Amino acid sequence: MPTRAVITGLGVISPIGIGVSEFWKAALAGRSGISAIESFDPFPLDGYRSKVAGRITNFSPEQYLPAQQAERIDRYAQFALVAANEALADAELVMAREQPHRVGVIMGAGMGGMVMGEREITQLYLNQKPHRVHPNFIPVITLNSASGIVAMATGAKGPNLTISTACSSSAHALGQALHCIRTSQADVVIVVGADASITPLVFAGFCSLRALSSRYNDAPERASRPFDQGRDGFVMGEGAGALIVESLAHAKKRKARIYAELAGYAATSEAYHMVIPREDGEEVATTMKLALQHAGVAPGDVDYINAHATSTTIGDAVEAKAVRLLFKTRADKIAVNATKSLVGHTLGAAGAIGAVATSMAIHTGHIHPTANYESPDPACRLAGISRTVQERKIRTALLNAFGFGSNNAAVVLAKYRP
Amino acid sequence: MTDQAIVSQIIHALSQYLKRDANSITEQHHLRDDLGLDSMAVIELLYKIEETFNLQIPDEDLAGLTTVGSVARYVESRVAPGEAPKSPPAKRAPGKAKAAKKKR
Repeated sequence: MPTRAVITGLGVISPIGIGVSEFWKAALAGRSGISAIESFDPFPLDGYRSKVAGRITNFSPEQYLPAQQAERIDRYAQFALVAANEALADAELVMAREQPHRVGVIMGAGMGGMVMGEREITQLYLNQKPHRVHPNFIPVITLNSASGIVAMATGAKGPNLTISTACSSSAHALGQALHCIRTSQADVVIVVGADASITPLVFAGFCSLRALSSRYNDAPERASRPFDQGRDGFVMGEGAGALIVESLAHAKKRKARIYAELAGYAATSEAYHMVIPREDGEEVATTMKLALQHAGVAPGDVDYINAHATSTTIGDAVEAKAVRLLFKTRADKIAVNATKSLVGHTLGAAGAIGAVATSMAIHTGHIHPTANYESPDPACRLAGISRTVQERKIRTALLNAFGFGSNNAAVVLAKYRP
Repeated sequence: MTDQAIVSQIIHALSQYLKRDANSITEQHHLRDDLGLDSMAVIELLYKIEETFNLQIPDEDLAGLTTVGSVARYVESRVAPGEAPKSPPAKRAPGKAKAAKKKR
């Protein structure tokens, strides 16, 4: 039997709350964290078709990190570090008692250090002074800066990797953490997903891609509405999620609380299109099936799916179609929710934040509502999607994440049974 | 009758994008079914057209833009009458059906 891996600590920073306790309370209340963008100073807001986002407005890094450190790292890395610290504390994992080379860090990030990245590029072109590019520019925008920073802050000297597969990044990070544990490269992996790129250029890029919601600029809290007939695109969010993944033996030895078992994972490519999924849903269904096989569980054991569900017209319909393809008549018996209805699409952080919500659902038996699910779209009707909290004893859950580049991930989390 | 200057500019943009002879593209061609543009390619085409005619096309107007002719008529309705292309942005057209399909 392969080495079992379990989740023993959680951390999150999101538009609906900093810290798991605040996040989960808001999630169960179905509260939207989407608000109006007031300005992209100095750029005219009129030029942006979408004017809403899931921003974290009450975060001051100095409250969580030493001021000098906070100043030297980009916003996404600040989020990563704060979430990782919370997860470590939650797991009561004391690094001084661990063998440093047996603790790894695996990050998922889609965009990376775009706050400084955009600022420096703008200033270079405005001022024409290459010698004034900040010396910290390269270390900050290098995509693995956050995983390095988490390692330096914690002393984790094991495998240190960053996965960048756009919106599926941190779901793959979880999957790679599972491999890391099963192949005995580490006893513990700190898994983090983080992104903070609601920045003038990235946001304009998503507007130009016509990927963002623009219909609810006057009612931001209604803009992210996965599976609803009135959806018209995703809403950008920012944040981080962190999970402590460790071998069962290691968790038992230190008598850790177990939220869930990390039981299986599949990674696939549709080999189809940079940004459009295959409309028949076959590839998504196959990804979920392979993940369940990897976990050694049958489709009939699945009680809950934390859907990728970004609130785009085609993406949500394809995912719902895939659920029906794989689970057939059971599809309507599975509880399904969309964490992005609350926090927006946090890109590289989405998988990890979804995994925090999934772990909490398995642990507590409460499945958070899908906000704004008011008029079910016949193209993605599943009986298990609800605007209210669902209570269920979850045996097995699936976490889906799909990314640009024709990239799919599915992760299986399960109730821990000794 | 659609303004032929507008039609030919749209066909020109398409022929450049598709690397295909402009004479083989007509007003009746369907962007997806006849010319093989997927939703992303349509967005790239409209990006070019926005620049050519100095327009901003709101998301909710995308759904009606399915043929070369419908794009031309849309552009015509958006540029002020009597003015050549490159006129200042016209007032936003009344909202049409729903936005383009999308994505991840």
